Amino acid sequence: MADMEIALDIQHLKKYFGGIKAVDGCTFQVPRGQISGLIGPNGAGKTTTFNLLTGVLEADSGEVIYNGENIVGLKPYEIFNRGISRTFQITRIYREMTVFENMLSASSMKMPVREARERAEQLMEFVTLTKLRGEYGGNLSYGQQKLLEFARALMTDPDLILLDEPAAGVNRTLLNNLLDHIHHLQEEQGKTILIVEHDMNVIMNHCEKVFVLDYGVKIAEGLPEDIQTNEDVIEAYFGHR
Amino acid sequence: MAQNEHLRNFGMLAILIIILCALPSNINLYQRSVIMFTMMYVVLSLSWNIISGYTGYVSFGHVMFYGIGAYATGILVVDYGWHWIPTLFVGVFVSFVVSLIIGFPVLRLKGPYFAIAMLGAAEGTRVVATVWEDLTHGGEGIGLPNIENSFETYFAMLVVMLVTIIVSYWVGHSRFGIRLNAIREDEIAAESLGINSTFYKLFAFALSAIFPAAAGGIQAYKVLYIDPETEFFILVTIYMKLFAMFGGKGTVIGPILGTFVLYIVQEITWVKFPTAHLIAFGVFIVLVARFMPRGLMGFAIDKGWARKGMVH
Repeated sequence: MADMEIALDIQHLKKYFGGIKAVDGCTFQVPRGQISGLIGPNGAGKTTTFNLLTGVLEADSGEVIYNGENIVGLKPYEIFNRGISRTFQITRIYREMTVFENMLSASSMKMPVREARERAEQLMEFVTLTKLRGEYGGNLSYGQQKLLEFARALMTDPDLILLDEPAAGVNRTLLNNLLDHIHHLQEEQGKTILIVEHDMNVIMNHCEKVFVLDYGVKIAEGLPEDIQTNEDVIEAYFGHR
Repeated sequence: MAQNEHLRNFGMLAILIIILCALPSNINLYQRSVIMFTMMYVVLSLSWNIISGYTGYVSFGHVMFYGIGAYATGILVVDYGWHWIPTLFVGVFVSFVVSLIIGFPVLRLKGPYFAIAMLGAAEGTRVVATVWEDLTHGGEGIGLPNIENSFETYFAMLVVMLVTIIVSYWVGHSRFGIRLNAIREDEIAAESLGINSTFYKLFAFALSAIFPAAAGGIQAYKVLYIDPETEFFILVTIYMKLFAMFGGKGTVIGPILGTFVLYIVQEITWVKFPTAHLIAFGVFIVLVARFMPRGLMGFAIDKGWARKGMVH
């Protein structure tokens, strides 16, 4: 893959928690302008990888190259300000702040206030939360919280969006709504999106490329249809036949 | 927020200021003192609210900055012959520097660890004020020149209160304040969404340290005698916390309302029940905590009398 086509180049990324090898020399390249999926059984290291990519955890070793710069060791806010945004596996919206305040909190201080307010209004409309703009985040349904977190992650118009289990706990209607938004971002705005997800329908039907982790190591990558028949992946999920 | 809402809020503040300006020549010395100390606690509770209400770092040591301000005034007036007004600026500057020195390590702690560290820092400052006799006169304290100053101190406190309210209003209606709230709600999420929490916390901490120093300086000039036990008394911190929580922490109006109501209730119970006023005051607080756990502003929001959130 040519450099221009790679949004994120992850090289030999490693994170141990005592004796547990959460991420053990993981290497893969996220293609630019596509929706990619990161899957694996429970405990495979998917969320840890996300936390390493966004600076929430500091890697023991390895590199993450983004726009020609190694971002390992940067603080989460520095990584965010470079154009990488994320959502969390269990929503981390601000429960005692209104929907509108949740949105404004993620705006850049360099952005004029009027512009930030307009952007927040547009995004709330995008995810159909305008009517709830004055409601506390904690009073929203779980699905609405997912939408809010998704919209909040878009406040600074990031180039790379990491979505951690966007489908978890979301009903089918809201999920379809969310997936439409994700496709809109990729197709209309050329955003790069990396999704961690257990819902295989989401991964197989919406991702162009899939990476599979097991015990902190990438065991496969390829097109969704190839991953479905990959022996290593089947073994990781179901054990030896 | 609509422009009208800002105008309405500043209109209310203007009315309050006009009333407070008109009052002193029409009331007696005791009443003047009560109102001056009420304004002082408005300054203290609003300041505490910046770091503890908005950012969620509950400080049990804010009396430290108040004490530093009091000592800056006491030392400079008595030992160096300064006029008392410029001493307030020195107190503010010293508090600002101390807040940065203490804040940088202490703000890495969270929850009860931060609270205990602040308590320890305040106690440490009290001990320094006690043992550094060459500078602070130690345990015997400092007596200031005995002159009638009730008008001067009243209006000085009014000015400091006005500045504190304006700064608090800015915090409470700006993205800076929203970012402090985000840190209170979830620091990891806040950092992941572009907020440099170390910078914001330190800024909020320093901001919350400077106004108590000014208030402490004025108070020292008013009471004419300071010593480590009274100027670093933990009850001062407890009061600022109590008043802010009673009114509604994390809001601008809450600490103002809480202080005016609670300080005056305390004063009335003291006058009416001199032997049992602390019990009566305590019962009042227990009832409020039971029935209005989020304070007066939380109660008003639940009843639909006030809007949710800081920015609309």
